[in-house]
Amino acid sequence: MLFMVISGLATGTAFGFVCQRGRFCVTSAFRDLYLAKDSKMFIAFLIAITVQSIGLFTLSALNVAKIPTEPFPWLGVITGGFIFGLGMVYSGGCAAGTYYRAAEGLIGSITALITFMISAAVMKFGLLSQFTGEVLSVGYAKTTIYQTFSLSPWILVSILILVTGYLVWNYRKKEKKLYIPEMVPQRKGLNHLLFEKRWHPFITGILIGVIALAAWPLSLVTGRVGGLGITTPSANLVVFLVSGNYSVLNWPVFLVLGILVGAFAAAKLSGEFKFRTPDTKTMVHSLEGGVLMGVGASLAGGCSIGNGLVASAYLSWQGWIAIPSMILGTWAASYLIIIRPMRHPQITTPHQTQTSASN
Amino acid sequence: MIKKLEVLGLVCPFPLVKAKQEISQLNSGDELVIDFDCTQATETIPRWAAEAGHHITHFEKTGPAQWSITLKKK
Repeated sequence: MLFMVISGLATGTAFGFVCQRGRFCVTSAFRDLYLAKDSKMFIAFLIAITVQSIGLFTLSALNVAKIPTEPFPWLGVITGGFIFGLGMVYSGGCAAGTYYRAAEGLIGSITALITFMISAAVMKFGLLSQFTGEVLSVGYAKTTIYQTFSLSPWILVSILILVTGYLVWNYRKKEKKLYIPEMVPQRKGLNHLLFEKRWHPFITGILIGVIALAAWPLSLVTGRVGGLGITTPSANLVVFLVSGNYSVLNWPVFLVLGILVGAFAAAKLSGEFKFRTPDTKTMVHSLEGGVLMGVGASLAGGCSIGNGLVASAYLSWQGWIAIPSMILGTWAASYLIIIRPMRHPQITTPHQTQTSASN
Repeated sequence: MIKKLEVLGLVCPFPLVKAKQEISQLNSGDELVIDFDCTQATETIPRWAAEAGHHITHFEKTGPAQWSITLKKK
Protein backbone atom coordinates (compact mmCIF):
# COMPACT_ATOMS: atom_id res chain seq x y z
CA MET A 1 0.00 0.00 0.00
CA LEU A 2 2.73 2.46 0.96
CA PHE A 3 4.68 1.70 -2.21
CA MET A 4 1.51 2.24 -4.26
CA VAL A 5 0.81 5.61 -2.62
CA ILE A 6 4.37 6.88 -2.94
CA SER A 7 5.17 5.61 -6.45
CA GLY A 8 1.75 6.64 -7.81
CA LEU A 9 1.96 10.11 -6.31
CA ALA A 10 5.59 10.55 -7.41
CA THR A 11 4.88 9.53 -11.02
CA GLY A 12 1.80 11.76 -11.11
CA THR A 13 3.73 14.68 -9.62
CA ALA A 14 6.46 14.35 -12.25
CA PHE A 15 3.84 14.05 -15.00
CA GLY A 16 1.85 17.07 -13.79
CA PHE A 17 5.03 19.11 -13.40
CA VAL A 18 6.30 18.36 -16.92
CA CYS A 19 2.86 18.92 -18.48
CA GLN A 20 2.54 22.34 -16.85
CA ARG A 21 6.06 23.58 -17.55
CA GLY A 22 6.19 22.08 -21.03
CA ARG A 23 2.65 23.24 -21.90
CA PHE A 24 2.03 19.68 -23.10
CA CYS A 25 -1.40 19.46 -24.65
CA VAL A 26 -2.88 16.55 -26.59
CA THR A 27 -5.87 18.69 -27.52
CA SER A 28 -3.55 21.15 -29.20
CA ALA A 29 -1.63 18.26 -30.82
CA PHE A 30 -4.76 16.99 -32.57
CA ARG A 31 -6.78 20.19 -33.00
CA ASP A 32 -3.96 22.38 -34.34
CA LEU A 33 -3.16 19.99 -37.20
CA TYR A 34 -6.37 21.40 -38.66
CA LEU A 35 -6.99 24.68 -36.86
CA ALA A 36 -3.51 26.19 -37.06
CA LYS A 37 -2.00 23.81 -39.66
CA ASP A 38 0.67 23.22 -37.05
CA SER A 39 2.20 19.81 -36.32
CA LYS A 40 4.67 20.75 -33.56
CA MET A 41 2.66 19.43 -30.62
CA PHE A 42 1.59 16.35 -32.60
CA ILE A 43 5.24 15.53 -33.28
CA ALA A 44 5.98 16.01 -29.55
CA PHE A 45 3.15 13.56 -28.85
CA LEU A 46 4.66 11.03 -31.31
CA ILE A 47 8.05 11.45 -29.60
CA ALA A 48 6.43 10.57 -26.27
CA ILE A 49 4.86 7.44 -27.81
CA THR A 50 8.10 6.39 -29.51
CA VAL A 51 10.30 6.82 -26.42
CA GLN A 52 7.79 4.87 -24.35
CA SER A 53 7.44 2.16 -26.99
CA ILE A 54 11.18 1.49 -27.26
CA GLY A 55 11.47 1.33 -23.49
CA LEU A 56 8.38 -0.77 -23.00
CA PHE A 57 9.37 -3.59 -25.35
CA THR A 58 12.84 -3.56 -23.79
CA LEU A 59 11.39 -3.77 -20.25
CA SER A 60 8.99 -6.47 -21.40
CA ALA A 61 11.91 -8.53 -22.73
CA LEU A 62 13.55 -8.09 -19.31
CA ASN A 63 10.29 -9.23 -17.62
CA VAL A 64 9.78 -6.03 -15.60
CA ALA A 65 6.81 -4.85 -17.66
CA LYS A 66 3.88 -6.76 -19.13
CA ILE A 67 2.07 -6.03 -22.41
CA PRO A 68 -1.73 -6.08 -21.98
CA THR A 69 -3.66 -8.82 -23.80
CA GLU A 70 -7.25 -7.56 -23.83
CA PRO A 71 -9.29 -7.77 -27.06
CA PHE A 72 -9.75 -4.64 -29.14
CA PRO A 73 -13.22 -3.11 -28.49
CA TRP A 74 -13.43 -1.44 -31.88
CA LEU A 75 -16.99 -0.13 -31.69
CA GLY A 76 -16.35 1.69 -28.43
CA VAL A 77 -12.90 2.91 -29.44
CA ILE A 78 -14.16 4.52 -32.65
CA THR A 79 -17.38 6.10 -31.33
CA GLY A 80 -16.00 6.91 -27.89
CA GLY A 81 -12.81 8.32 -29.39
CA PHE A 82 -14.80 10.67 -31.60
CA ILE A 83 -16.97 11.81 -28.66
CA PHE A 84 -13.87 12.30 -26.51
CA GLY A 85 -12.28 14.35 -29.31
CA LEU A 86 -15.32 16.64 -29.42
CA GLY A 87 -15.25 16.97 -25.64
CA MET A 88 -11.60 17.95 -25.35
CA VAL A 89 -12.01 20.86 -27.75
CA TYR A 90 -15.12 22.07 -25.90
CA SER A 91 -13.38 21.89 -22.52
CA GLY A 92 -10.07 23.19 -23.90
CA GLY A 93 -7.96 20.28 -22.67
CA CYS A 94 -7.82 16.49 -22.65
CA ALA A 95 -8.26 14.49 -19.46
CA ALA A 96 -4.68 15.02 -18.27
CA GLY A 97 -4.74 18.60 -19.58
CA THR A 98 -7.88 19.29 -17.59
CA TYR A 99 -6.23 17.95 -14.40
CA TYR A 100 -3.17 20.13 -14.80
CA ARG A 101 -5.06 23.25 -15.84
CA ALA A 102 -7.41 22.81 -12.89
CA ALA A 103 -4.28 22.88 -10.71
CA GLU A 104 -3.21 26.13 -12.44
CA GLY A 105 -6.40 27.68 -11.08
CA LEU A 106 -8.57 27.78 -14.19
CA ILE A 107 -12.17 27.66 -13.00
CA GLY A 108 -13.30 26.41 -16.43
CA SER A 109 -10.97 23.41 -16.18
CA ILE A 110 -12.06 22.73 -12.59
CA THR A 111 -15.66 22.63 -13.88
CA ALA A 112 -14.70 20.31 -16.75
CA LEU A 113 -12.77 18.07 -14.35
CA ILE A 114 -15.76 17.66 -12.04
CA THR A 115 -18.22 16.84 -14.85
CA PHE A 116 -15.63 14.53 -16.47
CA MET A 117 -15.10 12.57 -13.24
CA ILE A 118 -18.81 12.24 -12.55
CA SER A 119 -19.77 11.22 -16.08
CA ALA A 120 -16.93 8.67 -16.19
CA ALA A 121 -18.21 7.19 -12.90
CA VAL A 122 -21.78 7.07 -14.22
CA MET A 123 -20.63 5.31 -17.40
CA LYS A 124 -18.25 2.87 -15.72
CA PHE A 125 -19.86 2.05 -12.40
CA GLY A 126 -23.23 3.76 -12.30
CA LEU A 127 -26.50 4.03 -14.15
CA LEU A 128 -25.04 3.51 -17.62
CA SER A 129 -22.42 0.87 -16.78
CA GLN A 130 -24.41 -1.91 -18.46
CA PHE A 131 -24.63 0.08 -21.69
CA THR A 132 -20.88 0.81 -21.56
CA GLY A 133 -20.19 -2.88 -20.97
CA GLU A 134 -22.28 -3.86 -23.99
CA VAL A 135 -20.51 -1.39 -26.29
CA LEU A 136 -17.12 -2.57 -25.02
CA SER A 137 -18.02 -6.22 -25.55
CA VAL A 138 -18.05 -5.71 -29.34
CA GLY A 139 -14.45 -6.66 -29.94
CA TYR A 140 -11.76 -8.18 -32.09
CA ALA A 141 -9.68 -10.90 -30.43
CA LYS A 142 -6.16 -9.72 -31.27
CA THR A 143 -4.78 -6.93 -29.09
CA THR A 144 -1.86 -5.72 -31.14
CA ILE A 145 -1.12 -4.93 -34.75
CA TYR A 146 1.96 -7.18 -34.75
CA GLN A 147 -0.12 -10.17 -33.58
CA THR A 148 -2.54 -9.70 -36.49
CA PHE A 149 0.29 -9.69 -39.02
CA SER A 150 2.50 -12.16 -37.10
CA LEU A 151 5.40 -9.73 -37.01
CA SER A 152 8.02 -8.95 -34.43
CA PRO A 153 6.99 -5.82 -32.48
CA TRP A 154 10.48 -4.47 -33.18
CA ILE A 155 9.66 -4.12 -36.88
CA LEU A 156 6.77 -1.79 -36.00
CA VAL A 157 8.87 0.01 -33.37
CA SER A 158 11.49 0.61 -36.07
CA ILE A 159 8.87 2.08 -38.42
CA LEU A 160 7.67 4.31 -35.59
CA ILE A 161 11.25 5.49 -34.95
CA LEU A 162 11.80 6.22 -38.65
CA VAL A 163 8.54 8.16 -39.08
CA THR A 164 8.97 10.18 -35.87
CA GLY A 165 12.64 10.77 -36.66
CA TYR A 166 11.84 12.04 -40.13
CA LEU A 167 9.12 14.40 -38.85
CA VAL A 168 11.45 15.78 -36.15
CA TRP A 169 14.28 16.29 -38.65
CA ASN A 170 11.93 17.99 -41.11
CA TYR A 171 10.46 20.28 -38.43
CA ARG A 172 13.85 21.20 -36.98
CA LYS A 173 15.12 22.08 -40.46
CA LYS A 174 12.36 24.70 -40.84
CA GLU A 175 12.61 25.79 -37.24
CA LYS A 176 16.34 26.53 -37.33
CA LYS A 177 15.63 29.56 -39.49
CA LEU A 178 13.16 30.80 -36.91
CA TYR A 179 14.01 33.14 -34.06
CA ILE A 180 11.48 33.10 -31.22
CA PRO A 181 12.22 35.87 -28.70
CA GLU A 182 11.95 34.94 -25.02
CA MET A 183 11.15 37.06 -22.00
CA VAL A 184 14.10 38.67 -20.21
CA PRO A 185 15.09 36.11 -17.53
CA GLN A 186 14.43 37.14 -13.92
CA ARG A 187 15.90 33.97 -12.45
CA LYS A 188 19.19 32.08 -12.69
CA GLY A 189 20.49 28.54 -13.05
CA LEU A 190 18.22 25.64 -12.16
CA ASN A 191 15.54 28.03 -10.95
CA HIS A 192 15.42 29.57 -14.44
CA LEU A 193 15.51 26.19 -16.17
CA LEU A 194 12.72 24.67 -14.08
CA PHE A 195 10.44 27.59 -13.39
CA GLU A 196 10.90 30.15 -16.11
CA LYS A 197 12.52 28.96 -19.31
CA ARG A 198 10.40 27.96 -22.27
CA TRP A 199 10.79 24.21 -22.81
CA HIS A 200 10.97 23.02 -26.37
CA PRO A 201 7.90 20.80 -27.03
CA PHE A 202 10.17 18.01 -28.30
CA ILE A 203 12.14 17.97 -25.02
CA THR A 204 8.81 17.87 -23.19
CA GLY A 205 7.79 14.94 -25.44
CA ILE A 206 10.90 12.97 -24.43
CA LEU A 207 10.28 13.63 -20.72
CA ILE A 208 6.61 12.61 -21.03
CA GLY A 209 7.73 9.41 -22.79
CA VAL A 210 10.14 8.56 -19.97
CA ILE A 211 7.51 9.19 -17.27
CA ALA A 212 4.91 7.16 -19.22
CA LEU A 213 7.46 4.35 -19.43
CA ALA A 214 8.24 4.44 -15.70
CA ALA A 215 4.52 3.98 -15.00
CA TRP A 216 4.60 0.43 -16.43
CA PRO A 217 7.05 -1.32 -14.06
CA LEU A 218 5.94 0.80 -11.08
CA SER A 219 2.27 -0.11 -11.40
CA LEU A 220 3.16 -3.75 -12.15
CA VAL A 221 4.79 -3.97 -8.71
CA THR A 222 1.31 -3.27 -7.28
CA GLY A 223 -0.18 -6.00 -9.49
CA ARG A 224 -1.65 -3.75 -12.19
CA VAL A 225 -0.80 -4.36 -15.87
CA GLY A 226 -0.83 -0.97 -17.58
CA GLY A 227 0.80 2.42 -17.91
CA LEU A 228 -0.49 5.92 -17.30
CA GLY A 229 -4.26 6.07 -17.03
CA ILE A 230 -6.65 8.90 -16.22
CA THR A 231 -10.27 7.96 -16.81
CA THR A 232 -10.72 4.80 -14.72
CA PRO A 233 -8.94 6.24 -11.67
CA SER A 234 -11.04 9.42 -11.99
CA ALA A 235 -14.18 7.29 -11.84
CA ASN A 236 -12.66 5.25 -9.00
CA LEU A 237 -12.01 8.43 -7.06
CA VAL A 238 -15.69 9.41 -7.30
CA VAL A 239 -16.73 5.91 -6.18
CA PHE A 240 -14.28 6.09 -3.27
CA LEU A 241 -15.56 9.51 -2.20
CA VAL A 242 -19.22 8.48 -2.17
CA SER A 243 -18.80 4.93 -0.86
CA GLY A 244 -15.73 5.08 1.36
CA ASN A 245 -14.68 1.79 -0.21
CA TYR A 246 -10.88 1.57 0.02
CA SER A 247 -10.62 -1.34 -2.44
CA VAL A 248 -11.10 1.02 -5.43
CA LEU A 249 -7.90 2.88 -4.56
CA ASN A 250 -5.32 1.52 -7.00
CA TRP A 251 -2.04 2.81 -8.43
CA PRO A 252 -3.48 5.27 -10.99
CA VAL A 253 -5.76 6.89 -8.40
CA PHE A 254 -2.58 8.17 -6.72
CA LEU A 255 -1.22 9.04 -10.14
CA VAL A 256 -4.09 11.45 -10.90
CA LEU A 257 -3.85 12.97 -7.43
CA GLY A 258 -0.14 13.42 -8.09
CA ILE A 259 -0.87 15.29 -11.33
CA LEU A 260 -2.73 17.92 -9.30
CA VAL A 261 0.17 18.16 -6.83
CA GLY A 262 2.86 18.40 -9.53
CA ALA A 263 1.01 20.88 -11.72
CA PHE A 264 0.10 23.06 -8.73
CA ALA A 265 3.71 23.08 -7.53
CA ALA A 266 4.99 23.90 -11.01
CA ALA A 267 2.47 26.72 -11.50
CA LYS A 268 2.88 28.16 -7.99
CA LEU A 269 6.69 28.12 -8.04
CA SER A 270 6.82 29.78 -11.44
CA GLY A 271 4.25 32.43 -10.52
CA GLU A 272 1.68 30.98 -12.89
CA PHE A 273 -1.01 30.01 -10.42
CA LYS A 274 -4.09 32.21 -10.33
CA PHE A 275 -7.80 31.52 -10.11
CA ARG A 276 -9.09 32.58 -13.50
CA THR A 277 -12.79 32.83 -14.27
CA PRO A 278 -13.81 32.65 -17.92
CA ASP A 279 -16.94 34.10 -19.50
CA THR A 280 -20.25 32.25 -19.33
CA LYS A 281 -19.88 30.74 -22.79
CA THR A 282 -16.51 29.17 -21.94
CA MET A 283 -17.92 27.88 -18.64
CA VAL A 284 -20.82 26.18 -20.45
CA HIS A 285 -18.42 24.70 -23.00
CA SER A 286 -16.20 23.39 -20.19
CA LEU A 287 -19.17 21.81 -18.48
CA GLU A 288 -20.34 20.12 -21.70
CA GLY A 289 -16.81 19.16 -22.69
CA GLY A 290 -16.24 17.40 -19.37
CA VAL A 291 -19.40 15.33 -19.81
CA LEU A 292 -18.48 14.40 -23.41
CA MET A 293 -14.96 13.43 -22.31
CA GLY A 294 -16.25 11.19 -19.51
CA VAL A 295 -18.74 9.48 -21.84
CA GLY A 296 -16.26 9.18 -24.72
CA ALA A 297 -13.34 7.90 -22.65
CA SER A 298 -15.52 5.31 -20.92
CA LEU A 299 -16.94 3.98 -24.20
CA ALA A 300 -13.47 3.95 -25.76
CA GLY A 301 -11.86 2.28 -22.77
CA GLY A 302 -9.38 5.13 -22.51
CA CYS A 303 -8.75 8.82 -23.07
CA SER A 304 -6.06 10.68 -24.99
CA ILE A 305 -3.56 9.33 -22.46
CA GLY A 306 -4.79 5.76 -21.86
CA ASN A 307 -5.53 5.11 -25.52
CA GLY A 308 -3.65 7.86 -27.33
CA LEU A 309 -0.33 7.89 -25.52
CA VAL A 310 -0.20 4.49 -23.80
CA ALA A 311 -2.15 1.93 -25.86
CA SER A 312 -0.37 3.20 -28.97
CA ALA A 313 3.02 2.54 -27.33
CA TYR A 314 2.39 -1.22 -27.12
CA LEU A 315 1.31 -1.07 -30.77
CA SER A 316 -2.28 -2.06 -30.09
CA TRP A 317 -5.20 -1.61 -32.44
CA GLN A 318 -6.91 0.23 -29.59
CA GLY A 319 -4.25 2.94 -29.57
CA TRP A 320 -3.79 3.41 -33.30
CA ILE A 321 -7.53 3.41 -34.12
CA ALA A 322 -8.29 5.69 -31.16
CA ILE A 323 -5.88 8.38 -32.38
CA PRO A 324 -7.57 9.06 -35.78
CA SER A 325 -11.02 8.78 -34.11
CA MET A 326 -10.10 11.42 -31.53
CA ILE A 327 -8.45 13.59 -34.20
CA LEU A 328 -11.68 13.58 -36.24
CA GLY A 329 -13.62 14.55 -33.11
CA THR A 330 -11.31 17.49 -32.40
CA TRP A 331 -11.61 18.65 -36.01
CA ALA A 332 -15.40 18.46 -35.97
CA ALA A 333 -15.56 20.47 -32.73
CA SER A 334 -12.97 22.97 -33.99
CA TYR A 335 -15.15 23.60 -37.02
CA LEU A 336 -18.30 23.97 -34.92
CA ILE A 337 -17.03 26.28 -32.19
CA ILE A 338 -14.02 28.04 -33.71
CA ILE A 339 -13.93 28.06 -37.52
CA ARG A 340 -17.65 28.50 -38.23
CA PRO A 341 -18.22 31.37 -35.77
CA MET A 342 -15.22 33.15 -37.35
CA ARG A 343 -16.59 32.80 -40.88
CA HIS A 344 -20.05 33.91 -39.82
CA PRO A 345 -19.36 36.36 -37.01
CA GLN A 346 -23.03 37.38 -36.92
CA ILE A 347 -24.01 33.93 -35.61
CA THR A 348 -23.17 34.43 -31.99
CA THR A 349 -26.25 33.13 -30.25
CA PRO A 350 -28.86 30.61 -31.34
CA HIS A 351 -31.46 33.41 -31.36
CA GLN A 352 -29.61 35.29 -34.05
CA THR A 353 -29.21 32.28 -36.32
CA GLN A 354 -32.46 32.92 -38.09
CA THR A 355 -31.75 36.52 -39.05
CA SER A 356 -28.27 35.69 -40.26
CA ALA A 357 -29.53 32.78 -42.36
CA SER A 358 -31.52 35.26 -44.46
CA ASN A 359 -28.38 37.30 -45.22
CA MET B 1 -0.96 52.88 -34.62
CA ILE B 2 -1.03 50.81 -31.45
CA LYS B 3 -3.98 48.51 -30.87
CA LYS B 4 -4.68 46.76 -27.60
CA LEU B 5 -6.19 43.28 -27.33
CA GLU B 6 -7.26 42.03 -23.93
CA VAL B 7 -8.00 38.34 -23.80
CA LEU B 8 -7.82 37.74 -20.04
CA GLY B 9 -9.92 34.74 -19.03
CA LEU B 10 -9.85 33.23 -22.51
CA VAL B 11 -8.25 29.80 -22.79
CA CYS B 12 -6.36 28.34 -25.70
CA PRO B 13 -6.76 28.44 -28.61
CA PHE B 14 -8.86 31.62 -28.34
CA PRO B 15 -6.09 34.10 -27.42
CA LEU B 16 -4.24 33.04 -30.57
CA VAL B 17 -7.39 32.96 -32.72
CA LYS B 18 -8.30 36.52 -31.59
CA ALA B 19 -4.73 37.73 -32.10
CA LYS B 20 -4.74 36.44 -35.68
CA GLN B 21 -8.10 38.09 -36.37
CA GLU B 22 -6.99 41.36 -34.83
CA ILE B 23 -3.67 41.58 -36.65
CA SER B 24 -5.35 40.95 -40.00
CA GLN B 25 -7.19 44.27 -39.53
CA LEU B 26 -3.97 46.22 -38.98
CA ASN B 27 -1.58 47.81 -41.47
CA SER B 28 2.04 46.86 -41.83
CA GLY B 29 4.12 48.51 -39.09
CA ASP B 30 1.16 48.83 -36.70
CA GLU B 31 1.61 47.37 -33.24
CA LEU B 32 -0.65 44.96 -31.39
CA VAL B 33 -0.41 44.66 -27.60
CA ILE B 34 -1.91 41.41 -26.32
CA ASP B 35 -2.64 40.94 -22.62
CA PHE B 36 -3.38 37.31 -21.82
CA ASP B 37 -3.49 34.86 -18.93
CA CYS B 38 -3.64 31.50 -20.72
CA THR B 39 -0.38 29.75 -19.82
CA GLN B 40 -0.18 27.78 -23.07
CA ALA B 41 -0.31 31.01 -25.07
CA THR B 42 3.19 31.88 -23.78
CA GLU B 43 4.28 29.13 -26.19
CA THR B 44 1.78 29.49 -29.02
CA ILE B 45 1.63 33.28 -29.54
CA PRO B 46 5.41 33.95 -29.82
CA ARG B 47 5.87 30.89 -32.03
CA TRP B 48 3.03 31.90 -34.36
CA ALA B 49 4.33 35.50 -34.51
CA ALA B 50 7.83 34.32 -35.39
CA GLU B 51 6.52 31.93 -38.04
CA ALA B 52 4.24 34.59 -39.55
CA GLY B 53 7.14 37.06 -39.59
CA HIS B 54 5.69 39.63 -37.19
CA HIS B 55 8.33 41.30 -35.05
CA ILE B 56 8.04 40.76 -31.29
CA THR B 57 9.02 44.09 -29.78
CA HIS B 58 8.10 43.36 -26.16
CA PHE B 59 7.27 40.26 -24.12
CA GLU B 60 6.94 40.29 -20.36
CA LYS B 61 5.25 38.67 -17.41
CA THR B 62 3.10 41.37 -15.87
CA GLY B 63 1.85 39.48 -12.79
CA PRO B 64 0.88 36.05 -11.48
CA ALA B 65 -0.24 34.07 -14.54
CA GLN B 66 -0.47 37.19 -16.66
CA TRP B 67 1.58 38.23 -19.64
CA SER B 68 1.82 41.01 -22.21
CA ILE B 69 3.31 40.70 -25.67
CA THR B 70 3.68 43.37 -28.34
CA LEU B 71 3.88 42.50 -32.02
CA LYS B 72 4.75 44.76 -34.91
CA LYS B 73 2.89 43.67 -38.03
CA LYS B 74 5.04 42.49 -40.92
